[in-house]
Amino acid sequence: MTHPQIAAFAREAKENQPPVRTIEGQKTLLSRTMHGFSYDPIHDEIVVNSPLSQAILTFRGAVNGEEAPLRVIQGPKTRILGMGYAALSTVTADPVHNEIFLPIGSGGYRGEGTGGPQGVLVFDRMGNGDVAPKRMLAGPDTQIRNSTPQVAVDPIHNLLVVKSNGLLIFDRAAEGNTKPLRVIRGPKTGGFGGGQITVYAEKGLILSNSMDGWAVWSINDDGDVAPRWRIPVKQITGGGQNSGIAVIPKHKEIMIASALQNRVLTFYFPELFD
Amino acid sequence: MHKKKTSVRRANIAVGVVLFTVVACLSLFERPRVRQPAGYPQLVSVQDFPTSPDWCPPPASAIRADTNLFSAFGNGSVYAGSPQSGETGVITRPPMRTIRDKDPIYSAVAVDTRYDEVILMDNNNWGLRVFNRLDNTPPDAPFTEPKRIIAGPETDIQFNNGVYIDPQNGDIYSVETDTGDKVVVFPRDAKGNIKPARILATPHRGFALAVDEEKQELFVGVQYPPEVAVYRKGASGNEKPLRSLQGESTRLSDVHGIAIDPKNKLLYTTNWGHVSDYRIVGTGRIEDPSISVYPLNAEGDTSPLRTIQGPKTQMDWPAQMTIDPETGDLYVANDIGHSVLVFKGTDQGNVAPRRVIKGNRTGLMNPSGVFVDSKNKELWVSNFGNSSADVFPLNADGNVAPLRTIRSAPSNKVSLKFGKVEALAYDEGRDQVWVPN
Repeated sequence: MTHPQIAAFAREAKENQPPVRTIEGQKTLLSRTMHGFSYDPIHDEIVVNSPLSQAILTFRGAVNGEEAPLRVIQGPKTRILGMGYAALSTVTADPVHNEIFLPIGSGGYRGEGTGGPQGVLVFDRMGNGDVAPKRMLAGPDTQIRNSTPQVAVDPIHNLLVVKSNGLLIFDRAAEGNTKPLRVIRGPKTGGFGGGQITVYAEKGLILSNSMDGWAVWSINDDGDVAPRWRIPVKQITGGGQNSGIAVIPKHKEIMIASALQNRVLTFYFPELFD
Repeated sequence: MHKKKTSVRRANIAVGVVLFTVVACLSLFERPRVRQPAGYPQLVSVQDFPTSPDWCPPPASAIRADTNLFSAFGNGSVYAGSPQSGETGVITRPPMRTIRDKDPIYSAVAVDTRYDEVILMDNNNWGLRVFNRLDNTPPDAPFTEPKRIIAGPETDIQFNNGVYIDPQNGDIYSVETDTGDKVVVFPRDAKGNIKPARILATPHRGFALAVDEEKQELFVGVQYPPEVAVYRKGASGNEKPLRSLQGESTRLSDVHGIAIDPKNKLLYTTNWGHVSDYRIVGTGRIEDPSISVYPLNAEGDTSPLRTIQGPKTQMDWPAQMTIDPETGDLYVANDIGHSVLVFKGTDQGNVAPRRVIKGNRTGLMNPSGVFVDSKNKELWVSNFGNSSADVFPLNADGNVAPLRTIRSAPSNKVSLKFGKVEALAYDEGRDQVWVPN
């Protein structure tokens, strides 16, 4: 990766329209492989991981340019490990409950993983420095077995969704070796891609990167269930690895990051919101 | 008269809304009747999710002309599937907007001095663009047309960052950083969507290239886990490296540039300072960026002979690096500094650069690639930030205008600097979307 910036664009930006601001430079502590992160609208903060230095960074929402993060979670007490291949590539915040969820995977660089647990570390949102996680969800009963698990939090229904060979739905506060409440997995799902997941909590919907684009399930789905909707982005646009998602209820849109074609696509999707 | 027209228009709109609602509701009532017995459960109605209201045709208030875009797509609502039916609503409408950079984003540059050609790596569109060395885009011209472009799925070029030109035969070497994990080699005159003459599998996150022509060895700098892998120059396929420099003692970190000094038998790397051992909990730390210097034949967990590091160096995301073999001057593309830093290869510690090319006259914007053309005594710099490459005298210093500039976009271009955008986050308050590379 040449330039691991985070760039903010006007929602209605079009081709060749430059960003309105960027986070970039040595002081930001950013590193490559930012494959999932959050904007926290309650506290106006951005939470992102710095995978190559095993850190979680929190920036103010109005950040612009080469600006240091407000807080950095990093150090031996954090229990953060990775990133061999990409064990540590995503993070998400739950601003309602003041928590940060960091999935950790096996990695699997050149066939060799991290050797550490595969699960989810949960930190206090205000954690700063070498702080221990509040709790950890990991163990064989969790079914979290993946090189790069992804997580999303539904603060309304108090759920934690983990993408790991399917969608594992836990109580938000689950810890230890806890079984998921429900598991969406099987041939009818159409399979899952390696990209982000998110929850549109107001409607109780899970949006997950799928094999051919994006797919939507209910948080109450369980078992081998076909998605409610599917957007075959690759078929529509020809671009692969459509791995990023943003849900925009006010405008009934979703935005999708198309990694291999270096572009962000906006789809009109009123069905999701009505 | 005006009021009358307005009234007629309102009446037409009202009739339209009523007709739509009637048709929509009729189509809902008709839905069960078009079903044929199939011997398995079918969708006959859609029930609300436990947390959501009924799914039904949108009410008139929801389809105002200013919010309903279906007419633009020529299709309508797609009903959600259900677990009972096993069916899925498939959305096939095209995207309504796209954020992307239509122009090249240049990550690296090299010159074929035998044929007076410049090769620029387009990291955005996955290609190599070849220009005449003396091309100079006029200020009012939108861009300069390349002589040749190597691009397309057959080329295997993907997120290319490091380039090397064989001084003997003009072969073009390109390292594919992310999804590619390989070095591809093309003949000098290659163009279009062609297969590489040779492919070498390399570690994930290979970023920079250099060649020791005397020993016929190819050096590949790897971002993470940080490493310099050394191969036979002619290696291909899954051939293993001859040796590898890696380990905690090396102080390699997020390697972005490598340069070799065959005269003094030295290897240089630029490091960004992101440090961790992925197998050990909590080993992450962040150091100042640095240049580290090793014996050219270093391997294993070898400590650097010396390092250049500290605030005086001005390094800020130091990218590609090259050395002038005659003077020992080390040129570093300094991305965030919008500058080129020139050190002596013998420098050590927290030292200021001997020269800095920087300022509004230089045209530098997020420089990421540098190349020393010893034959013509010129320094080439590729700009990640504005789709261009600048040429300076080799002894340039300060806020100097380039001798020539090759642009692939208008002179006021500001690049999106995209590089494998994989995630998004939306800030509703500012109506902005965050896009990381």
